Formats: sequence, C-alpha cells, structure tokens
Amino acid sequence: MMKEWLRVFKAGLSIDNPLTVLMIGLCATLAVSSQVEGSLFMGFAVIFVLGMSNALIAALRKVIPSQVRIPIFIVIIASFVTVVDLFMKAFFPPIYAVLGIWIPLIVVNCIILGRAEAFAYHNTVWLSIADGLGMGAGFSLVLVGLAFIREFFGAGKIEFMGATVLRMPEGYAAPTILMMFPGAFILFGFVVAIVRALSNRSTARKAA
Amino acid sequence: MKSSALRLIIPVVVTCIVAAAGLAATYTITQPLIIAQEKAAEEEALKSVLPDADAFEAVDAATLAEAAGVAGDSKVAAVYHARDESGESIGWGIKVGSRGYSGYVEMVWGLDRDGKVTDLTILKMTETPGLGTRIKTEPGFLEQYRVLPGGFAEKDLKELDMISGATKSSRAVRDSGMAVSAVYEKVLKAAGEVR
Repeated sequence: MMKEWLRVFKAGLSIDNPLTVLMIGLCATLAVSSQVEGSLFMGFAVIFVLGMSNALIAALRKVIPSQVRIPIFIVIIASFVTVVDLFMKAFFPPIYAVLGIWIPLIVVNCIILGRAEAFAYHNTVWLSIADGLGMGAGFSLVLVGLAFIREFFGAGKIEFMGATVLRMPEGYAAPTILMMFPGAFILFGFVVAIVRALSNRSTARKAA
Repeated sequence: MKSSALRLIIPVVVTCIVAAAGLAATYTITQPLIIAQEKAAEEEALKSVLPDADAFEAVDAATLAEAAGVAGDSKVAAVYHARDESGESIGWGIKVGSRGYSGYVEMVWGLDRDGKVTDLTILKMTETPGLGTRIKTEPGFLEQYRVLPGGFAEKDLKELDMISGATKSSRAVRDSGMAVSAVYEKVLKAAGEVR
C-alpha cells in the first residue's frame, strides 16, 4: 500500500507534473513566479488546499451525486482557500502583502478542481492525499524554479524575508521582460522543452 | 421515497451549511487578529513618517469628509493630527490610496506644519511583484518625494522621475502626492492653527 502511495505521489512530481506535463494552473504560475519568496508560500498554500480538498472529496465521493459534483467540489475548495486566506492575513501579513489577490484565486486554479474531478472522486482517501501532496509539490517545484530564474536574471537579485540572498555583479542590466508576463511565458516554453527533451531521452534509453 | 430532485439538492445544501459554519468559525478566530495587524501596521507607518510625534489623533469626521472631497480620484482614508510630547502640534499623517496598475496603492504621508513632507511609506499594495513593487524598493524613487518643498503642488510632482516599466505604479505615488497636497492646501492649511 505504501508503494502505491509513493507511486502516486511521485507521479505528481514527474510524469504527471501539473505544470510541465498536464499544463494546468498556468495563469497563477505566470503571475506569482516573479519572486522566490512569494512562490514558496504560494506553493505551501496550494499543497495544503490540494491535500485537504482531495482528502475530503475522496471521503465523500460515495455520497456526492455525480450530477451536482462540480458545485460541491467548488464549495469545498473555496472554503479551504478562504481558510488559508484568513489565516495568512492574520498570522503572516508580510507574505499576504506579497501574494495578495493570488491566494483567493487558488479557488479557480484548475489543478485543484482538475485533481478533484480526475483523481479524488474515483480513488480512496489515502491515495487522494498522495495525489494532492504530489501534485502540489510538483507545482511548487516548477513554480519556485521559474521564480528563481525570473528573479535572479530579471531583477538581478534574490530577496528572501527582507534580506538579499544572491546578487548579480554590479553593472548587470536586468532584462525587464523576464519580470513581465510575456517573458514568463517564453521562459516557461523553454522549461517545458527541456523537460520534454530529458524525458524523451530517458524513455529512449529505457527502450534501448 | 425521496424524489430525484431532492436527492441532488440535499447534498449541495448540506455541503454549503457545513462550509458556512466552518468559515464562520475561522472568521471569528482570525478577524480580531487581522484588524489588530492592520491597526499595528498603520500605527507603525505613522510613527515612521512622523518620528517626532508622540500621539496621533484622528481629525473629526467633517474635516475628513472635506479632505476626501478635495482628493480627486484618490481616496483619503484617514487624517491624523500629530502632536509631540508637550502636546504641541507638529504636523499631520495622511493615509491615502491611489489607483495603480492593479488596485489601490495605500500610502501614509507625513507632513509638518508647513506642508513639507517629513516622510512617506507604502502601507499596502497589490502591484505586480518585482515590477510595480519597485516603487517601494527602487533606490531614489521615494526619496525624491521626501525632499519636496513645503507647499508643493502638482507642477513639483510632475517634475519627479517615474520608474520605467512601472509607470502606472509610479503614477499612483504621484497621484497620492497630489491628493496630499490638495488636502494640505485646501483643508488643513485653510483651517490654520485650529485643526
């Protein structure tokens, strides 16, 4: 059972990665990935919401009639997101100031509704938690990676908790396009291409 | 036997009721904390823009309404009268919001008795991280507002530099400066020593 759990968890990080493979939840990704700090907390928020909503939906899957499942999913997801929103506002206001509108918008992040529909509604609670955590972690990994590239090269420095952790040498002219949506989109295209190339190579090697 | 419509309605209604109860509980727990956080942030901002002040008292509702009336598109949320330890009036703290690239940029401006900016700070904004938020982090940007002459007006503000790539966000700061200037010239100064 543990083996199956790990398999589902790992799928979210690799072969079913929501960003580089399934390509869902891109809107929030492009918006938030301009800062490492914000991305990290966005990742935590998504992992929490995805894990909780997957678990609850899986637990209730036998009593949710399929005709009205979508409204029920949305109410459940929106409730968890609002809980995160209020808690962040109350306990971590500086982080809330960074993420702002993107926390409430987790509600419409397709990863969460997508996993509820595609996975949690048909699987056990135990496996749905694995799926939620794996998908959330896969999302966060790519998000923070993108944010690192964008912030380091686009702003010339990485700031974390008010301190500058990494800085480009003096005189580096940061290309602003990296900080804007089009730059993020182009960069994301390259990341997907690299991930594809690597996974193609590894399947080819396995076949050989 | 239940009709098929009820079979669908009941789960939705039950889900909503449970969700509402859960959210009400969360709200009850977090709301006082959120209000306290916001108040603390505002007080800290006031202290940082008027470091010599010992007490801040909100102006009366009529003055605030008048200030809001002259601010144009910007929103004057609060005006505080700052006093030092001996109770002497030393200036005003003005909390003002102006439309930026995404939503309002809320700022707190400190003015001395002559209408000179003592300092200013950004309280809350939802500008694009790393881009619009540079209005807070860009070296020299907010500083140019700190050296404005007493009784500064629109033309002084229009001469200041904007941040390229963050024009709308920079404009929010300039607009709030115009609102502050109008509030000082038309409301606070007009009232003389009384207010």
